[in-house]
Amino acid sequence: MARLALRGRAAALLACAAGAALAALDWPLSSPSLAATFGTAAPGGLVTGLALASTGGLVRAVEGGEILFCADAPGGRSPLPSALGSFVIVEHARQVAGVYSHLAPGSASDYLRKVKPGDILGAAGASGWTEGEGLLFQAFDRKEGRWVNPLLLLPPLGDDKPPVIRSLSLLRAGKSYPLGETRSLGQGVYGIALESSDPSAAPWTAGPLAPYSIRLVIDGALAARCVFDVARASGGELVFFSEGPRAAAALRGGEGRYVLAERLLARGKVVFEVQVEDAAGNRRSASWSVLVE
Amino acid sequence: MRLAPPQGARPRAGLGAEPRACRRGRPRGQAREGSGRPPGGRCRGAETESADRPHYFSLAGRFGYFDAEGELLYSAAVPYGVALAPDAFATYERLSAGFAIRSPSGEELARASLPGYPFFDAGRRFVLAPDQCSVTEIGPDGRALWSRQFGSVITAYGGSPDLAAFGLMDGSIVGLGLRGEELLSFAPGGSRLPGIYGVAVSPDGLLVAAVCGLDKQRLVVLEKRSSAYRVTFHRWLDSDFRRPLAMSFTADGRHLVYEAPGGAGIYERGTRRESLIAAGSVGRVGEAVEGLGMLALLAGSGEERLLVCASPDDRRLIDLRLRASDASLEVDGNSFFLGLDGNLIRMDLREE
Repeated sequence: MARLALRGRAAALLACAAGAALAALDWPLSSPSLAATFGTAAPGGLVTGLALASTGGLVRAVEGGEILFCADAPGGRSPLPSALGSFVIVEHARQVAGVYSHLAPGSASDYLRKVKPGDILGAAGASGWTEGEGLLFQAFDRKEGRWVNPLLLLPPLGDDKPPVIRSLSLLRAGKSYPLGETRSLGQGVYGIALESSDPSAAPWTAGPLAPYSIRLVIDGALAARCVFDVARASGGELVFFSEGPRAAAALRGGEGRYVLAERLLARGKVVFEVQVEDAAGNRRSASWSVLVE
Repeated sequence: MRLAPPQGARPRAGLGAEPRACRRGRPRGQAREGSGRPPGGRCRGAETESADRPHYFSLAGRFGYFDAEGELLYSAAVPYGVALAPDAFATYERLSAGFAIRSPSGEELARASLPGYPFFDAGRRFVLAPDQCSVTEIGPDGRALWSRQFGSVITAYGGSPDLAAFGLMDGSIVGLGLRGEELLSFAPGGSRLPGIYGVAVSPDGLLVAAVCGLDKQRLVVLEKRSSAYRVTFHRWLDSDFRRPLAMSFTADGRHLVYEAPGGAGIYERGTRRESLIAAGSVGRVGEAVEGLGMLALLAGSGEERLLVCASPDDRRLIDLRLRASDASLEVDGNSFFLGLDGNLIRMDLREE
């Protein structure tokens, strides 16, 4: 059911009829092993795609389309380096462009023009700025000018492990107050930071994997809902979430830590409840309370 | 550095091409390595024509500086990448989280602590973020001056001292000023599929050119009038390039040179006329420089290279086939510096 809901969400995000053609997508690697999910805090910023660990696996087109761009060699006299290493951009259906990055140097299929589903685009590699061997796959919604979480578009992975919740902390004036360890604190405005991640079996990860959604309830009222569905540039900044957009710089609180909201905490007992969900629909919840004096 | 002149260079029609090999210089100063072997390398242009400024090269896994007399000033191996400019360089590793900015003699000038890859151009220093969607400009002290997150992957770049123009996968061009302010935002459109394959900015920053789109591809030239950039020229091309293209204005800004099927397309700024210098048989065009009213092009891939020196209407002075796995070309006044694997060769053009 959760997966169906995700598909419906993807359809809505891509502004097409529910389910239309989405089932045609397939994974770009035959044995995908998640090394970063959409929103994972990696060096340099939050990831806007999926990193898949693989050693030399063949990278295939997730659906048919047309090669739009292929960078597999230095670009003449331009000083621009390639942080994505060798990469291929394929224009797929519904104005969605797939970016396949960090391919093994020289492996990109630069001779291709039209591609069929499953056509080989290159070999997984470690070219450019990547922490391990594999593939970074991103889906760009050209119509809306934003990155879409590929897990919304790709077939579900067998996953029955719920995300891990490590801590919820209150942040103020450069100090962190982990709930559970902190029994009371003074009233004021606090940042609320959750440390949570989705387990990974990959041989390497770019950072603790981001869950798909986080829900924060304070004293019974919804305080924040973070759904890692899309990301876009706005005002020169990277912004996540289609509903209640939040700048990546404000959201990121360190490795596997997300600053969900800022709240004025007034006197009395305050109860925090968090529910975290991965893309497969596995959930985990936790609650804490603190006395504000 | 081997000292042999290029074989087959023949002076023609009133102009003499005088090949002159750079002599290997004795290393000077500190922090240099590998000076006992010739620098492989792409010798790339000093961006200002100054006899005092060193020239730089990067080829076959090494980089460094040399002077116009062939004195090797610095040479070192490239670890993963190197950002080079006449006045500074920075080497970096594949997982670079920061780097030192060094003078051409190797002296550390500053450090920058940003993940990503540095690139230096037109007197400005940038760091491309690991996602290739974000750029930070850094100052002489290595500190960030501004950062800009773009909406999609950066596929092309061209710059002048006052304008850094970025071509994006979504088919738009964004030009940023010295404070990171947006001076230009333009989506050429008109093609079935959008995309930016090459961008060039004239040295005075008044012209921005791009090869964009697929089916059909086209050349667009924007010109700054009053405060805004407007299309001053466009032409549908026969090309179907889907890779980064070599594209640049000559140092005097009179000509735009861009890769075209079969050679180098030339756009003359003053007359808005176009021409083609044929170099098609050896693949892609790399470097294009100008001196004494002649354009010099280096084309080729694999082991086969072609050096062409011709007028913009393709009257040939030099048409030279070479074998090299890596090559480069630079001009300084009437001197051309040709890099061929482990050799740097200077050729002086003079009128007879």
